[in-house]
Amino acid sequence: MSFEELEHTADVLMRVRGADLAELFAEAGRAMFHVMYGPCEDKGVERRIEIEAENLESLLIDYLSELLFVTEVENTVFCTFDVDLRGTRLSAVLRGEPFDPARHSAGALIKGISYFGLEIVKEEEGYVVEIIFDI
Amino acid sequence: MLTGINKIGDLEWEVPIGYVPDMRVPGRFFLSRRLAETLEEGAVRQLANVATLPGIVKHSLAMPDIHWGYGFPIGGVAAFDMTEGVISPGGVGFDINCGVRLITTPLIEADLAGKKRELIERLFDAVPTGVGAKSAMRISNKDLTAVMVDGARWAVERGLGTEADLVRCEGEGAMPGADPGAVSAKARQRGLPQLGTLGAGNHFLEVQAAREIVDPEAAKAFGIAEGQVCFMVHCGSRGLGHQVATDHLRTLEGALPKYGIRLPDRQLACAPIDSPEGRAYYGGMVSAANYAWANRQVIMHEARKVFAHLFGIDYDEMRLIYDVAHNVAKFERHDVDGVSTEVCVHRKGATRAFGPGTPGVPGEYAAVGQPVIIPGSMGTSSYLLHGTTTAMQKTWGSTCHGAGRVLSRSKAKKEIRGKELRERLAGEGILVRAHSDSVLAEEAPDVYKPSGEVVRVVHEAGLSNVVARLDPLGVIKG
Repeated sequence: MSFEELEHTADVLMRVRGADLAELFAEAGRAMFHVMYGPCEDKGVERRIEIEAENLESLLIDYLSELLFVTEVENTVFCTFDVDLRGTRLSAVLRGEPFDPARHSAGALIKGISYFGLEIVKEEEGYVVEIIFDI
Repeated sequence: MLTGINKIGDLEWEVPIGYVPDMRVPGRFFLSRRLAETLEEGAVRQLANVATLPGIVKHSLAMPDIHWGYGFPIGGVAAFDMTEGVISPGGVGFDINCGVRLITTPLIEADLAGKKRELIERLFDAVPTGVGAKSAMRISNKDLTAVMVDGARWAVERGLGTEADLVRCEGEGAMPGADPGAVSAKARQRGLPQLGTLGAGNHFLEVQAAREIVDPEAAKAFGIAEGQVCFMVHCGSRGLGHQVATDHLRTLEGALPKYGIRLPDRQLACAPIDSPEGRAYYGGMVSAANYAWANRQVIMHEARKVFAHLFGIDYDEMRLIYDVAHNVAKFERHDVDGVSTEVCVHRKGATRAFGPGTPGVPGEYAAVGQPVIIPGSMGTSSYLLHGTTTAMQKTWGSTCHGAGRVLSRSKAKKEIRGKELRERLAGEGILVRAHSDSVLAEEAPDVYKPSGEVVRVVHEAGLSNVVARLDPLGVIKG
C-alpha cells in the first residue's frame, strides 16, 4: 500500500502499511530501497531469496538484512518485491537494475535494521509497522 | 525541560532509579541548560533502559552529544562487571569502531592557495566514497583474516604507513581477542572489496587548518601548531562491521531466554560476557574493529600520497596525531570503589579519553593524556582535546564523539538545498565534493548541535580539555 518517512533526528524512521502481510513485507523492501537509492526501474535483473524465522518481526528484520547484503555484494538495486509468505517462511522474487552511481548515489547507506520499537500491528484495513533504519 | 530528572551539578544530571522499571543503577549525563532544551525524552528513556542491564556498574552514562538512537542512546557509556555483566551490540552500534584520525602536514593555509580545488578533487579520486564504493585493493580471504587480527599493523607491514603510526592509534591500531571464526561468510564477502573505502552518511575526509591553539603545552606534545594544515578521516568498519553486528544481534536476541534476561528494548539484546554467545560477539566485534583501523590506515596512506605528490612534501612529514574509536566495547581496568577492577566498557558514540599517566596512553603523550578528536559537522569546527583524570573518575575515561543531530534527515532535505549549501560553503572558503548534492543537505551544519557548545560542556565538566580548534577548508563526502 504505502510507506512514509516520519521524524527521527538520528536515523530514518519509516511507517509501512500493507493490506496483508505479504504486501507489508514488499512495501518494507520498497521503503528501504527508496531510502538507499531513490529512483529505480525494473531492467530485468531478478533475484530470489528465501528466509525462515521464529516470528514475524524477526522474519522482517532477517528479510531486510538479507536485502542489504544482496544489494551490497551484487551491486543491484531492486524496485519490485514479489513476496510469498507462509507463516514465518518467506520467499521473494526481487526485480530491479544494476547499481548505477550516476543515478543511485543520492540516497543514504543503511547500516542495519533496528529492533527498537519494531512491532507488526494488525489494523482494520491491514498491517502497519514502524522501522528504524540505522544510517 | 523534561521532568523526572535531577540537576546535580552545573553540567551534571541524574536519572533516578525508577525512571523506567527495573533500573539497577541511576543514569547520569552531562549537559548545559542550553543543550538540555533540545534533549529528547526518548534519549533519556534509552539511557534509563541501559541501567536495567545485568551487571551494570555505578551508572548508565551519557555524554553531552546524547541523542535518541536505538538500544543505547548515542553518546551512551556503560561499564559491566566481568562476571555478572553482559556484552551488547546495542551498546556498540552497527558501525563497529566508527572512529576518527587526525594527521598534521608541514603546510600552512597559504601553501594551498590556487591548489585547494585540485587537492580536493585528487583526494576524491584517491579515496572511494559513497554507496557502492569499491576499493582498488585486491585482498584474499587469507589477507582479510590477517586484517581482522592485526588491524592497522596489517597495512603498515605492506608499506601503507609507518611504525610510528601504530603507536599513535588507540590500542596501537588493533584490539586483542579477535575471532575471525565469529565473522560470517557474508560479512567477509562484504568486507573483501571495501578495505580503504570511506562509505557514506556522516563519514568524511576533511582538510582543515589549526586556527586556534588553546593549550600550547599539550599542542606541543601532540605536534600541532597554529596555522598548520591538517586532515581528518572519519569512517568505520563498512559492510563487514554492519554484518557482524546484524548476525550477532540476531543470535543474542535468540539467546535471551537461555540466560533469563528480560529487556525493555530488543535492541539491547545481550549475553553474559563469558558465555558462548557473548564471547562470539566479542571476537567478531574485535575482528570488525581491527578491520576499521586498517581501513582508516589505508585511507590515510592514500591521502598522504596525494598531499606528497601535489605539494612536494615527504610522506613522513605528515604525522598521525592519533586515531580514536567511538563505537566499541573494551575490557579495561578502572577504579571501582578504590579497587582497580577489569570491566567491559561500552562506548556508543563516545570517545575514550584516558587521562595523564593512564596505561594505554602513548609514552610521548603520557604527561598530557590521550588525544581526543571531536569532528565537527561539515562547515563547522573540529576540536583536538586531551583526556583527563576527571574522566577516569566520572565516565570510565570517556567523553563525547561529535556534535549530535538536532534536525531529522527528512526535515533537512525539505529545508536545505544541497546545491545552495555547497555554494554557501564555497563562499566561506570550504570546498565540498560528494557524488550528489542531496547527501549534503542531510549532513548540513544546521542539522547538528553547535560542535563548539558540546565541546565547551565536556571542557567545563572536565571530561576532556580543549587543545586546539580546527576549521574546515575542504571536505570529501560519501
